Amino acid sequence: MTTPVLALKQITKQFGQGHTAVQALKQADFEIYPGQFVAIIGPSGSGKSTFLTIAAGLQTPTSGQVLLNGTELDSQSEKSRLAFRFNEIGFILQSSNLIPFLTVTEQLKLVDKLAHRSFQKERATTLLSQLALTEVATSYPNELSGGERQRVAIVRALYNDPSVILADEPTASLDTPRSIDVVKRLADEAHQHQKAIVMVTHDQRLIGDCDVVYQIEDGIMTRQK
Amino acid sequence: MYLGLKEMWHEKLRYTLLSGVLLLIALVVFMLAGLANGLSAGNRQAVDVWQARSVYLNKDANQTLTASQLKLTDRDKLSNQPVAPISVLSGTLRTNKNGLKTSISALATSRNSFLMPKVVSGHAINGKHQLLISAALKEKGFHIGQKVRVGTTNRTVKIVGTYAANTYMIAPTAYTDTSTLNWLKSLPITTGKRQSVNGFVTKQATFKNKHHGGLEKLSIATFINKIPGYSAEQLTLNTMIYFLFVIALAIIGIFMFVLTLQKKPLFGVLKVQGIGTNHILAALLTQSIAMALIGIILGLGITVGLAQIMPAGLPFAINWPQFGLYGLALLLASVIGALLSWRTVAKIDPVVALG
Repeated sequence: MTTPVLALKQITKQFGQGHTAVQALKQADFEIYPGQFVAIIGPSGSGKSTFLTIAAGLQTPTSGQVLLNGTELDSQSEKSRLAFRFNEIGFILQSSNLIPFLTVTEQLKLVDKLAHRSFQKERATTLLSQLALTEVATSYPNELSGGERQRVAIVRALYNDPSVILADEPTASLDTPRSIDVVKRLADEAHQHQKAIVMVTHDQRLIGDCDVVYQIEDGIMTRQK
Repeated sequence: MYLGLKEMWHEKLRYTLLSGVLLLIALVVFMLAGLANGLSAGNRQAVDVWQARSVYLNKDANQTLTASQLKLTDRDKLSNQPVAPISVLSGTLRTNKNGLKTSISALATSRNSFLMPKVVSGHAINGKHQLLISAALKEKGFHIGQKVRVGTTNRTVKIVGTYAANTYMIAPTAYTDTSTLNWLKSLPITTGKRQSVNGFVTKQATFKNKHHGGLEKLSIATFINKIPGYSAEQLTLNTMIYFLFVIALAIIGIFMFVLTLQKKPLFGVLKVQGIGTNHILAALLTQSIAMALIGIILGLGITVGLAQIMPAGLPFAINWPQFGLYGLALLLASVIGALLSWRTVAKIDPVVALG
């Protein structure tokens, strides 16, 4: 295979010093390639969130390397890490990460404004129809159902054409049928459009469509599938 | 900018109220400035018309014209450039028959001095017991040819001409010659060089020699500042205006800070997505500038509108360069107010958004 989109090598993250020190991650290894839908499962407090923040360059690891498209993230300045996050990483958060005062279409327009380019109307229309959101394109987030909001978050994440999508418990606020629907759409994006998608979840039922599954427990990451 | 304006549009009520507060502050600033200008003009207009550079008063007069007593002969202590005597009598102008009565500042100088106003109707003073009146007095019913009394004596003078309206010490002026004013003041000497005057006004004269006796030289600016009440009024009103700039800064600062605290989770989410502190600050700045502009422009509009319907007796004058400057100061206060949230925005840790 080619180089991984995102690779974490021997990552250790330690909080605190001396005998109060807590190791949230212990020498974790991880990699994901284009077209893969990878799940990371584990109970709360297992280090899942720490994994995500380090993968996204929001925190620096105590030791180890994070490589995004072969570039080491930790050696970058805060400013270029911000640019990396904006350009290369799409986020889908637990509850909605949408901006409450922008309509669905405007959420996408904002991405273009920040990237200093004109609105990609066709891309927006295509993505919205793929995720069955055409009807609500001019609605505000508070007018949408939970499932619709998470689908908009998926569109928002995909819209900037990032290298990798990090989904942090994307189904936490949804019921089971809607959760399955959202996960299915994520899997479709990965498989049909060659996206690299990482989903963090604590729900064992949702990992059926995943190509690779990692389990985290007490900071130790093990590949299960 | 997009983010900031979209939010304002979505939260119209919140931002309209805040703009309204700024409008009120801008309105008070402009009204106070207008009043300060009006009062200032009311006090000094006549002096500005002189276009003089210095005034010589008795050195024991505490730099006040009315308190200064000199003789016409004191002029000899000044060098030969144009020097004009000035006397003042604050009193009433009244008619015998139809009972017109108003407060004036009666000023007197020599008949051919540069302080004599330019007559626009009637003729200049060419004989005893003649009076020129400010055009404003004409509007009150006084007219050329009328016999009027000045002060409390029963001596009458005749109005012979009018000139472009001006005021001194908040009262319309009237001009006469030195002798006539001394006669109206019932002073014993009303002719010759030993007559009493209050001071001398010059365009550039200096003292002839070191023996200038009891004279003191004042710049026109000092002279105006020493008009009774002038600096106290200006200082009071200007202090209020300066405090309002601080209040505008505090209000914008506090509101923006509270809104920032409310939106911390949202800003965290934005930061996770790579939308950094600078973008968020730009949105805050856009909002505060937009609100300030709305408030300033509406406040200015209302001030101009109110100026049209104000009673004529209210001293009020619009000075556009000054209003522009005050508008800019309010804008600057809003920008600084918004920037006070900078640290808070910068310190928001995106990690919290990931729960």
